[in-house]
Amino acid sequence: MKTINIKINGAMYTETVPVRMLLVDFIRETIGLTGTHVGCTYEGVCGACTIHLDGEAVKSCLMLAIQADGHEVTTVEGLANNSEQTPLQTAFHEQHGLQCGFCTPGILMNMTEFLAKNPHPTDEEIRHGLIGNLCRCTGYVHIVNAVREAAKIIG
Amino acid sequence: MPSNLKNNAGSWLGARHGRKEDSRLVVGEGQYISDIVLPRMLHATFVRSEYAHAKILSIDTSAAEALTGVVSVVTGADIVDELRAMPQPVLLPNLPAKYPTFYPLSVDKVKFHGAPVALVIARDKYIAVDAAELVAIEYEELPVVVDPEAALEPDAPIVNDDHDHNEIFSMTFTGGETESEQESNAKAVEEIFKTADAVIKERFRVHRTGVTPMEPRGALCSWSDSDGLTAWITTQRPHIDRLALADLLDIPASKIRVIAPRDQGGGFGVKAPFYRENIIIAHMARKLRHPVRWIESRHESLMNVGQERDQIHYLEVAASKDGKLLALRNRGIADTGTGETGVYWGFVMPFLGAVEMPNGYTWDKADISLRAAVTNKACLTPSRAFGNLPPRFAIERAIDMVAHKIGMEPADMRRKNLVSELPYTSTTGEYFDSGDFIKVWDNLISQLDLVAFRKEQAAALKRGQYIGIGFGTGVELSGVASELMVPMENQPGYGAATVRLDPRGKVQVFSGDAPGGQGHETTTAQVVAHAFGINPADTIVTTGDTGTTPFGSGTIGARAGSYFMSAVHKACTELKIKIARILAHDLSIEANVDDFNFTNGEVIYRSDPTKKKKFTEIAERIIMHPINMPEGEVGGLDATAFFEAAKPMICFNADFCIVEVNPTNGEFKIQKWVTSEDVGNVINPLIVDGQMHGAIVQGLSNAVFEQFIYDEQGQQLTADFENYKLANAADMPDIQITYAPTPCPHTPLGTRGIGEGRPSSVPGALTNAVCDALTPFGIEITELPLRPSSIWKKIQDAKN
Repeated sequence: MKTINIKINGAMYTETVPVRMLLVDFIRETIGLTGTHVGCTYEGVCGACTIHLDGEAVKSCLMLAIQADGHEVTTVEGLANNSEQTPLQTAFHEQHGLQCGFCTPGILMNMTEFLAKNPHPTDEEIRHGLIGNLCRCTGYVHIVNAVREAAKIIG
Repeated sequence: MPSNLKNNAGSWLGARHGRKEDSRLVVGEGQYISDIVLPRMLHATFVRSEYAHAKILSIDTSAAEALTGVVSVVTGADIVDELRAMPQPVLLPNLPAKYPTFYPLSVDKVKFHGAPVALVIARDKYIAVDAAELVAIEYEELPVVVDPEAALEPDAPIVNDDHDHNEIFSMTFTGGETESEQESNAKAVEEIFKTADAVIKERFRVHRTGVTPMEPRGALCSWSDSDGLTAWITTQRPHIDRLALADLLDIPASKIRVIAPRDQGGGFGVKAPFYRENIIIAHMARKLRHPVRWIESRHESLMNVGQERDQIHYLEVAASKDGKLLALRNRGIADTGTGETGVYWGFVMPFLGAVEMPNGYTWDKADISLRAAVTNKACLTPSRAFGNLPPRFAIERAIDMVAHKIGMEPADMRRKNLVSELPYTSTTGEYFDSGDFIKVWDNLISQLDLVAFRKEQAAALKRGQYIGIGFGTGVELSGVASELMVPMENQPGYGAATVRLDPRGKVQVFSGDAPGGQGHETTTAQVVAHAFGINPADTIVTTGDTGTTPFGSGTIGARAGSYFMSAVHKACTELKIKIARILAHDLSIEANVDDFNFTNGEVIYRSDPTKKKKFTEIAERIIMHPINMPEGEVGGLDATAFFEAAKPMICFNADFCIVEVNPTNGEFKIQKWVTSEDVGNVINPLIVDGQMHGAIVQGLSNAVFEQFIYDEQGQQLTADFENYKLANAADMPDIQITYAPTPCPHTPLGTRGIGEGRPSSVPGALTNAVCDALTPFGIEITELPLRPSSIWKKIQDAKN
């Protein structure tokens, strides 16, 4: 067991956790923020568990909770500011960029970082940016539309 | 024919309304199975078989039980006296088959790699996994059969010991009821083949693949002596799960409440069967008097579910030289895996696929048979396109092959043979209720200049570029009528909805079906808004809770747009009649429902628009102040309606795609994918577009990337997403959806159910395009998956 200090969505948490606990389990089960999902066997392929670690999109199933000790985490619950959704969240709604919604939190976290680094992407760049996120429902067409529309608003 | 349902201003029907579901899903407030926790909840992990076929000699659970935090370890031997065996009557189709007997945990032997052998229950999920590693099982390997044709040989190893062969099901779809009628039909088919101008005869093979949802399965069960069992299950049909659990656990159904979580991370048919895992989780919750939760890992999921297709078709097609399709003869073989899945038993999908084999083309005669074989592989589970993807691939390919043989443009051949007048009954007896296939086809063709494309194709070839075009069409079920559902799945097909007004004029709708991303909350609210003249924001929808919803057979087979939405509309209509009667009484006028306009939150007397009342006030008056009522009328505004169409219903699509193939390595790129759809009157085009995109990409992903691979020992080699590859965004093209609708005359809103069968026509269209691009090599591809390596090999073979 190890005691760790992690700031998640602006709030400071001090918890004692098993060394082997995955960061995604810490977020979901210890803290109770269940917006971050698990869709593969902790292999980093599906991308549903994507969060921001110090502002960078990472897959929280590929890290131990103790590795995030002293760092700052943002999850999908932390995107909206006082119930005001980000342009990306709004665009996903308006463009029907989600169906079952299971992959959506990870895609939002990944694409938030993507648009910050590449504010005027082409469709092809968006599609390549999404390689680390699997979606089974949408066929990706509306997801690409949503990211493109969000870029227009943010840019 | 419905008249006032155009996408006109002011109607919520046809509006591109953003989804109500999204407001929680984009902020991380979805409520999926793994988000639900209960006090004292224990965590379950299955120990699964390492062998495809083996006797269980011994199981030593002592080390696992000794681990701190472990509460219970159970094996098959522990539960045979505590639970009834599968199958139970509620889960049996009314089709003659060799149904296997089995328990939730394997007893005496394991029949596939990944079969559940033991269950570990612990206070912590990490400890449960640790303990599962400590369960020591001694096996004696048995001969394995993983090929369906080998499984049907007389000396094949027997998969299910309660039967003396591996043929779980067989059927012949040859005209006629009696043997002599069938014989004479078979002879007539043979005569056609003898004299036809063009005949093709090929073996078509479609691999094992399916539609794995991003959220695996799960169950959380809780027991109390007073209330019985409460079971949250990832499921598309909670009401059937309830009945099955009652029979298997031997408790009254009245003491079972099954709840499909409000949000489910996709289903696509994979969450439609009744699964063995749920039985043991429920049983252990009862036995331990602790809530028990099982969340399936991706590894487990890929070992056990989402596996479909896996059919072989020996197909012959006869045509005249002017391109008329004459006869179809097919010997289909399906690999069902062990057959151990409630409701479907591995063979119901290929059964329906065989029924749907003629597609929307007219054949003078057909002779179709199917044999389904059990093997030492995971039991097939339904996947969107339900049994129909392999036969559809074979038929769409065969049409191009015949067209090539007689030198006809494949597009022209399709148009010539499409059913031109509906209703129509296919050669296998499938009823096509309505629509206009020619209109859909012509709309598709109007999206391109085919003559110009052929010129460009020839010019490109001179430049060394290989481009091609492929077509495909699909008749798909729009819901499943009781007429088909009762024999096929032993369940009703009707849609059911409860519509309840509250005293403040807001609406609650209850559905016993259990969606997983299809946007039912939104489309339901649009149907209600259309009926009552209120805003979709005023309606909330509760789904999938057997404690609060009317009986429904589940979210399957495109039942929502066809049957469920019709039931919602019907319940709203019943309430409108009551509202109109009471309002007329209050206004002291003689009027009925047709005399009132429900619009903009008001109910207005058409003949004198000054006579009106707010919808909210009417709700309060009828629910809270039921005095001075019309004679015989009572208060309250709550209606449950059931909708059944007189006949089975369908929807229809046609697609084309354009590809470029690199002949030096077989790689290809999809440049364009365009569709034409008859989905009847559309409730929400945004949602329908999304359904079509998703279905097409599932079809592409199945055709190009995904493949479950078992080696000759039955070891499953593809149990993670590194090895079982799904299409990602960069792999896939943009998709253009167009519509050529004919309102359905058999539903009150003219809607059709859509999306379920939609992937079926995709692999054929894609492969046709690849073969068209490679016309100079004369290549005809008859197997999936469609991989660059297999295309390259075909090219090499053609060159030599």
